[in-house]
Amino acid sequence: MSAAPQGPRDRAGAAVIPEGSAAGDLAAVLAIARKDLLQEARSRAVTVATLFFSAVTLVMMAFAMGQDAELLRRSAPGVLWVALAFAGVITAAQSFQSDLEEGAFDQLLLYPVPRASVFLGKLLANWLYLAVLGLIMTPVTLVLYGARAGSDLWLLPVTLALGTFGFAVVATFYAALTANLQAREALLPVLMFPVVVPVLLGAVRSTEALVGLQNATLAGGWLQLLAGFDLVYFVTCTAIFHLVVEE
Amino acid sequence: MTQRHETPRRPLWLRLLGLSTVVLFAVGAYLALVVSPPDVNQGQLIRMMYAHVSVAWVCFVAVIVTALYGMAFLWRGRPVDDTRAVANAEIATFFAGLTLISGMTYSRPTLNTWWTWDAKLTLTALMFALLVGYFVVRGLIDDPTRRGRVSAVIGIVVAVSLPFNYLAAAWFRTLHPTLSVAVTGIHIAPTMLFVLLFNVGVAALVYLTFVSERIRIGKLEHERDEERERREEGAPGEVVRV
Amino acid sequence: MAAFEAVSGAPSDITAERPARQLRGGPGDASAERIPAIELDGVSKRFGREMVLRELRLEMGAGRVAVLRGSNGAGKTTLLRMLATRLRPTRGHGRVFGFDLQRQGDEVRRRVALVSVLGGNYPVLTARENLKLAATLSGLPGNDLDAALARVGLDAAADTLVRTFSSGMKKRLGLARLLLLDPPLWLMDEPYAALDEDGKNLLDEVLTAARGRARTVLMASHELERSARFADAVLELAGGALRRSGS
Repeated sequence: MSAAPQGPRDRAGAAVIPEGSAAGDLAAVLAIARKDLLQEARSRAVTVATLFFSAVTLVMMAFAMGQDAELLRRSAPGVLWVALAFAGVITAAQSFQSDLEEGAFDQLLLYPVPRASVFLGKLLANWLYLAVLGLIMTPVTLVLYGARAGSDLWLLPVTLALGTFGFAVVATFYAALTANLQAREALLPVLMFPVVVPVLLGAVRSTEALVGLQNATLAGGWLQLLAGFDLVYFVTCTAIFHLVVEE
Repeated sequence: MTQRHETPRRPLWLRLLGLSTVVLFAVGAYLALVVSPPDVNQGQLIRMMYAHVSVAWVCFVAVIVTALYGMAFLWRGRPVDDTRAVANAEIATFFAGLTLISGMTYSRPTLNTWWTWDAKLTLTALMFALLVGYFVVRGLIDDPTRRGRVSAVIGIVVAVSLPFNYLAAAWFRTLHPTLSVAVTGIHIAPTMLFVLLFNVGVAALVYLTFVSERIRIGKLEHERDEERERREEGAPGEVVRV
Repeated sequence: MAAFEAVSGAPSDITAERPARQLRGGPGDASAERIPAIELDGVSKRFGREMVLRELRLEMGAGRVAVLRGSNGAGKTTLLRMLATRLRPTRGHGRVFGFDLQRQGDEVRRRVALVSVLGGNYPVLTARENLKLAATLSGLPGNDLDAALARVGLDAAADTLVRTFSSGMKKRLGLARLLLLDPPLWLMDEPYAALDEDGKNLLDEVLTAARGRARTVLMASHELERSARFADAVLELAGGALRRSGS
């Protein structure tokens, strides 16, 4: 039997792409997340869409609730998180749409990297984006609606982190599903919203505590629900993601 | 010469099941409408509770069974498991609708409102929306295997959502204490308990009957499709070697 | 035994750019050369009502080159995507280097690269960034990006956004990705399409080199003359059935 023939580029036999390692998977996750964020930084499609949409939501709701200052103040957390929920839909949908052009999404699934890494990379990018968006929108909303942050300021980053993560997990998961099925974009909110109701409720209640409309300890209970939700869905969606992208 | 396929007759056990369901349904209705005493607080309206609670419980069970059969399909890949999952999902959707209607019918006279944010009702509404999503997604996929696998995924998410949506709905309700439909808070007399359990049993029988029939039909459909596929495929070619 | 040497890597390959890897053609390394690159055992694929591929039976040895012909819509792309594990067969089993397409997809993907018609590039990233991502997602260090880009004549355009590329340049980028990954099995879908004369000559060179290095190539192509030059066999896909035409 002859040894494997050598060509102009010397390699040890038919060079098989090296076996995956945890570090390699992590690098893949980060690379995908970085790519998504880089794409967004350059095209700004999502930024424009979400900022505009959120601004419109905030302003329209403020007008709709009329002159009652107290009603306005009390509804600030609710409006904020509804706007963020819709922003989550836009963000996740776009993160897969932009991959569908030129067959890039397909190509992404041809690499030896596990499917879960693709999910985690996109989830990371979507979450970071939503968290930053929330960070910008919260003070804007509070100002616009005449609410003031109370003394439990620690609630803000925790709620934002957990709440946007909950939205990001479910949105990214279902966005992959609808993109892979080439379904109408309108299907994404239909699938997603009944699932993220607990996130919405928890985040709003917790934000209410932030602006003094709610007891902080009660808010703690809601935050626990949020954390539990995030954990369970994170694990579940990561585990079954590969089923969502197969054809 | 075309063959006419006759739909195979319903097996005996299924017909007996259906028959006993009808009979026991009648008994249950009688118990609920006549035998059960009117409630101390809510009068005759309590009779709605028997229907409402029984379909609600069966609905939740059906959702969980949908998810379980979906997982079985993922694991073993047998088309009959997907059929079972769909059958359960269909029944769950139907019963969810019944739960919502009975709940609204119940609340209108008692609380003068069509909708209350009662925990169970809210949970059912969310579940109904999720099940609609299940069927919309199914409708988008032609390939049976892929459809079964994606359905299983949705089924799993729906089942996972149950505890969270329930908790959220229950805690949400504490914010609207005046509007709660305190079905579970009723003091249940022994007679009423018996009638309730009997009707739950009837609901379970209805569920079993419909699910069994649905699965039977699904299996037949699958056989028919298989046969058509086999006819289309033709003889396998010989191995192409390179 | 010479076969064993092939497995462990000849000493002269220590200077190779990629660390010497075992020749893992498939389970049972010592007989790696005897494991066919592709085995299709009654593979069928149905899309809705339509049976696109019927009971395909194929055995392609390692290091062989075959051209796949067929009219548009005959199923060439479907077959290639199935071998790349992007699609699941409706029926039947397939193996690449002994690894099952459905159950050992990760192993298959490490030994396969697909050059698709759409290109699989991200328009908002540069050529170099696209390749870097490909390298990271394949677990490769990505040191030889420049070499790959130069090989396909894209070194001047390495840092321009792919959005500005002509379709020929995008094809070249896809080729660069293939050269970078350099797996044992190359799946190519109309690689000559959209390439100019220089590009086609480049592809000819690449294919010649591939033969010299015992790469297995399955190429769908309408370029009858050029592709036939490299082919050990010409396969025809028609009516969902595969047969070998006299070459």
